[in-house]
Amino acid sequence: MTNRLFDALRSFAGGVGAVGVVILAAALAVPAAAQAQDGAVTGTVTDETSGRPVGSVQVYLDGTGLGTLSRDNGRFVILNVPAGEYTIRAERIGYASAEATITINAGATTQHDFAIASQALGLDEIVVTGTAGAARRREVGNSISQLDVEQEVVGPPVNVDALLQARVPGMSITQSSASSGGGAMIRLRGNVSMTQSNQPLIYIDGVRVRSEGFAKNVPPIGYSGRSNNDVSSPLNSINPQDIERVEVIKGAAATTLYGTEASAGVIQIFTKRGSVGDATWTGQLEQGLSRNLTFGPDPSLRPPSENPTSLSGGRSDFLFINPWLRGHKPMCDDPIVVQDQPCDSGLFSDMGAHQQKYALNVGGGAENVRYFVSASYENDDGVLPNDNEKKVILRGNFTFNPMESLQLQWNTSYTNDQLEHTAGGNNAHGMTLNTFRRDRNYLNDESFNAINPFLNQEITTQIDHLITGLTATYSPLANFSNRFSIGYDLAQQDNRNLRPFGFIRAPTGILATSRYEFNTLTVDYVGSLDFSLPMGIRSALSFGGQSVTTRSERTTAYGDNFPGPGDPDVDNAGNTLGFEDRTRIVNAGLFAQNVFDISNKYFITVGLRVDGNSAFGADFGLQAYPKVSGSYVISDEDFWDEGWGSMKLRAAWGQAGRAPGAFDAVRTFAAAGWGGVPAFLPSNVGNATIGPETTSELELGFEGSFMDDRLALDFTYFGQTTSDALFSVRQIPSLGFTSSQLANVGELVNNGYELGLNYSIIRNDTWTWDINGSLSLTDSEVTSLGDVPEFSIGGFGWVAEGYPAPVIRSDCVANPDERADPIILDRTDEQCVHGPNQATTIAGFGMTFGLPAGIVLTARGEYQGGAFMTNGPQAAATRRSVRWAGCFEAYNTWETQGYAALTAEERARCDLKFYQSDFAVQPADFFKIREVSAQAPLPDAWANMVGASRATVTLSGRNFFRWVDPLMRTLDPEVGGNVGYNTRVRSMTEHVPPPAFYTFSMQLVF
Amino acid sequence: MKIISMVTSHVTRRGALLSAALLGLLAACDTTVVNPGRVQEVFLFETEAQEAIVSGIGRAAAEAQNYVGYTGAAVTREIHPSGSTGSFGITVEWQNGELDYETIGTHWNLSQRARWWGDDGIAKIMETGAENQATLAEAYLWTGYAYRLLGENFCVSVIDGEGAGARSVYYERAIARFDQAVSLGSGDMAMAAVAARASVKAFSGDWSGAMADAAGVPDNFVFDMPYFATEGNATRNRIQFASQAEPYKAHTQRYTKYEDYSMSENNPDGDPRVPYRVTDETGDAAVQCCGQVPWWPQTKYADSGSDIPLSKGTEMRLIEAEAMLVGGDWQGAMGKINALRMAAGVEPAMATNTAEAWTALKFERGVVLWLEGRRLGDFFRWNRDNTPGDLHSLEQPSGSQNEGSHLVQQDLCYPISRGEVDTNPNINGPTG
Repeated sequence: MTNRLFDALRSFAGGVGAVGVVILAAALAVPAAAQAQDGAVTGTVTDETSGRPVGSVQVYLDGTGLGTLSRDNGRFVILNVPAGEYTIRAERIGYASAEATITINAGATTQHDFAIASQALGLDEIVVTGTAGAARRREVGNSISQLDVEQEVVGPPVNVDALLQARVPGMSITQSSASSGGGAMIRLRGNVSMTQSNQPLIYIDGVRVRSEGFAKNVPPIGYSGRSNNDVSSPLNSINPQDIERVEVIKGAAATTLYGTEASAGVIQIFTKRGSVGDATWTGQLEQGLSRNLTFGPDPSLRPPSENPTSLSGGRSDFLFINPWLRGHKPMCDDPIVVQDQPCDSGLFSDMGAHQQKYALNVGGGAENVRYFVSASYENDDGVLPNDNEKKVILRGNFTFNPMESLQLQWNTSYTNDQLEHTAGGNNAHGMTLNTFRRDRNYLNDESFNAINPFLNQEITTQIDHLITGLTATYSPLANFSNRFSIGYDLAQQDNRNLRPFGFIRAPTGILATSRYEFNTLTVDYVGSLDFSLPMGIRSALSFGGQSVTTRSERTTAYGDNFPGPGDPDVDNAGNTLGFEDRTRIVNAGLFAQNVFDISNKYFITVGLRVDGNSAFGADFGLQAYPKVSGSYVISDEDFWDEGWGSMKLRAAWGQAGRAPGAFDAVRTFAAAGWGGVPAFLPSNVGNATIGPETTSELELGFEGSFMDDRLALDFTYFGQTTSDALFSVRQIPSLGFTSSQLANVGELVNNGYELGLNYSIIRNDTWTWDINGSLSLTDSEVTSLGDVPEFSIGGFGWVAEGYPAPVIRSDCVANPDERADPIILDRTDEQCVHGPNQATTIAGFGMTFGLPAGIVLTARGEYQGGAFMTNGPQAAATRRSVRWAGCFEAYNTWETQGYAALTAEERARCDLKFYQSDFAVQPADFFKIREVSAQAPLPDAWANMVGASRATVTLSGRNFFRWVDPLMRTLDPEVGGNVGYNTRVRSMTEHVPPPAFYTFSMQLVF
Repeated sequence: MKIISMVTSHVTRRGALLSAALLGLLAACDTTVVNPGRVQEVFLFETEAQEAIVSGIGRAAAEAQNYVGYTGAAVTREIHPSGSTGSFGITVEWQNGELDYETIGTHWNLSQRARWWGDDGIAKIMETGAENQATLAEAYLWTGYAYRLLGENFCVSVIDGEGAGARSVYYERAIARFDQAVSLGSGDMAMAAVAARASVKAFSGDWSGAMADAAGVPDNFVFDMPYFATEGNATRNRIQFASQAEPYKAHTQRYTKYEDYSMSENNPDGDPRVPYRVTDETGDAAVQCCGQVPWWPQTKYADSGSDIPLSKGTEMRLIEAEAMLVGGDWQGAMGKINALRMAAGVEPAMATNTAEAWTALKFERGVVLWLEGRRLGDFFRWNRDNTPGDLHSLEQPSGSQNEGSHLVQQDLCYPISRGEVDTNPNINGPTG
């Protein structure tokens, strides 16, 4: 860690101390004065149907500002309540709100229990995302997806990416490799930009955190793939067990108030807070395994000329890398196994990669002070031999009410993530490439002893990630509040990439050490004023401003040509080089919004945000993003029969943006060296009028619950138009600047439908059976190129007018099924348009069974279809005349029936004579079982034996079944490229696909 | 008014004031940011920037030379592919001798950048006022070499987004810039400009002018394009690095005309000007024509920091020899050729007539200018001028992909790139 992080931690520790003193004083002093005359109310919240305790229920006394959250055991207590009569309410996402009238007597404790009914659609539940402040769901005119982690998540997720997978209509989450700690690409309603990131913004407890991946661990010079070629995601700095709920908003109509950068959507994560009462300790233990499904053709399909295994014991169903994959090594008694080769000796010696996690949290507090503190440690091996991740996450969330009208919320987390990786991806120095390419690899040798030395490359990464935020909410009146937040996200990354002296492909050694710092400072103010207008209209005005400053800094030391073996540092090297990058981007905006509430049934919201951004061109000025939305609770109309259920109709229109990069506006020359002297080279043409691309979205839909609240439906139509789209305008090379220049010239459109469904088939006090599903259909099209030439964005992905954004097209075979030589068509031929690169159909399926004795079974699956991508490993191997496993069927036909029996498609794809990379484009449809879990409570007596009040055990399997389109004969449609998970065009490089996970966990509540 | 009447308490007024203050604070946020690292154009008009401008022009020319020379060496079979087709490799198309406009974008872009940046940089220096003449002379020299590279290797000319023109536009511009370098420069810089001008005049058929310039350049003169092993791949000697085995073994001398001719472990008495090393390894991967190819890397360039000659006295002697051949004096030409061979310690070449002398000259230029990015231009102009004499059989396309000759065809110049065709409204296709 650098000094700055130490400073931050010191500051954090100092803050803890200072705040602790204040908290203690408040806890002791403020209540002490009041407790003499006041009373209290306590009770338990349970599920009306199952009788199970329900935690995280907001229990409060209406109109007083007094309230608390119920604990995991359903208990709640509200202290220091002045004597009198009150309305007490209980509210929680997924449940109908409940209320009662109670009387508090001075010095006495009143008991009141709630039995709340689960509710498919809670129109009065509070949501935060997309609004200037909190709002009731009935008021919101756009769709919002919420995930209540405690209620809806059964099996312990590996990370936050896995937590969210296949849960939200219109959201796709794909992990791109088996690399330890690798992040996932997240897309909400597809792509809204062809040149900027489509990863949604991430807020954790109101603090904006880095949403892009951390830096790839690769030397600064030489081929940019001397790495594991995947990156970690800041999203996974959060312990999933610390999360209370997640809100996802998917389009510009909802993200308007987030302004520039928000057009790809927003994910808001809310972590747990403590509840009033004694400390509740929760411990969690997890043990598990990860191992790969097969990702190549079965060896039985091999042609007669092929041996059953490679010289190292590799099989075609693992593209010959299984001798190095944990869980799939050859048996030790296989004669092909050589001395010192790791092998499977039986007796569970090679079941897979070991995963383990230990977590402990405690929550509790007094009326004025609440806390939630957690710690977790995990140590996970990856399926590749060098892969490991050790992660420590600490969290402290403190809520402090120094006075009735003021609440302070201070949430802080610190993550230390240590990663070790195996070189993979498209990398001539990597284990994966050199096994996939068999005996035509960079060694011309597939034996174990030849390939194994690639493991001598050390790729180690340490990420220290601090996220801290302080929010002060001052509510001087019941109808007026001010919220001021300051958040700081600081990530420091230390990459070390060593090919030691004697390394098989760099004999004199290469070392690169890089230090990165990414930080985001967010300052937010929101004022809210509720007031009445004539004709009984209520008005809620919100206004405020936000400033987000992001910095990114890198310093790298590079050395090569080491004098001899040993554990070097850079200054041992014969050649040393230094590199530095620093970028700062400032975005500041003001916003205002008003919600007009007519009869608590009709709601109209109008809003506006105005942004300035340092990446805008000097001549651009400010960007305004308006919004308007309406919500109509039709089920509150007199004509609506109560037995029909409840329903809200909604419509919204709004805009959000995406800024260009830090240097896109400016005409620049690169300061490059040439033999130790400075040299300028043309770099960036510049564009003084460049501004953000603006996405406008119209969203129409409804939410309803029917059939006695057993069936919930949520339907949305959306139409997005990104105008002034930032396209890479290719420059005329003979004018000197050879790289493309971003310009606001294009337009692209996304249209689609989303349907979410929950249905309780059985619901009684013994059995429950719920099913859920989601379907999203999305079509995209580039409607205007703005008179600039169509352009490629890699992986055969093109931005071309009238086609999906991006479209995959490549030279293709005109006569694929004919038994003849292929007739090759140019990529511009209509026949060569394969289709979009992003899935157009995403469907999620799930069900949950509640069985007697509190046993819960749950399952989730996901289908994605309609996308095409390039199988890069196939393309690279075949053009090097590698006998590619994906061609085994064709080779078999060739060898057994003769060349004439091959179709034109097979000849183009598998015969080097005709081969082009273009023929490696494949459909990327797949279905995966994302999770199957079984959870059961242990008898209380067993829990009591270790001093716990409750214990549950869970068995989970994730991604252990997969179907892929038969034309994708190798690898996995989720496999990504060399730049990490967030790519504009999905295409594969030589990665091992993400593995399946099998986990046992035990949770103890004390 | 009704709204205001509802907000009456002093607390609320304080809150409103606080809100207004915060809004004002946010409104005052300055979003102007200047990030370090990249240089804005205005700075280039300062005198202090001139040396870096000139170095940049040189580097741009070096990068262009790197790509054009390497691929040209593959197509003219100065080197034989040994497997790698991606980074630092030789694509299947180039292996077959095809310079398609889809595949040569980098070559076009780098060459055009070098040319444009040379002219633009000189204009900037002139506008600011040249700090000294040597700096300006160097800028002209690198720019001249950039134009020579284009003239010798590219089929047609395109200047600054205009329509296609004759290839001779490049020669004319090269000569004009070398003229400036000669008049402003001195020492090796001026000598290099004279030698380079001689080569361009020879290329354009001005043999008397070429002879006149060549005569002023001594045999031992060498002017190099510098390359560096320590600054990143762009400034490495690409031909060397592509077969340095760290990790690339992208080309070999196996199956080239030099296999039996050059100095190597197999032939210690071979010509030391075209040396290579015999190994028991094979190249990166199998090659379409020939399977896995023995990896016998060149050793003319010892490491990726080895410089590549741009002009040298030995080339001048061959220009003089060729001028004699053009003039019908084949004996005089052979004298020039064999003088060079004698100096190199190899057997003299034999010729008994004009055609054989041309054959000897074509072979000798291949040896003297080996891996210096000149062979493709030579092939082009000999073909253009329909000169007598033969090339070695292994330098010519066989029309098949059988072992021993991967050249299915042999394009002799780079077309306009697809990128230029797509973006330049004045260009209609690869040939203009």
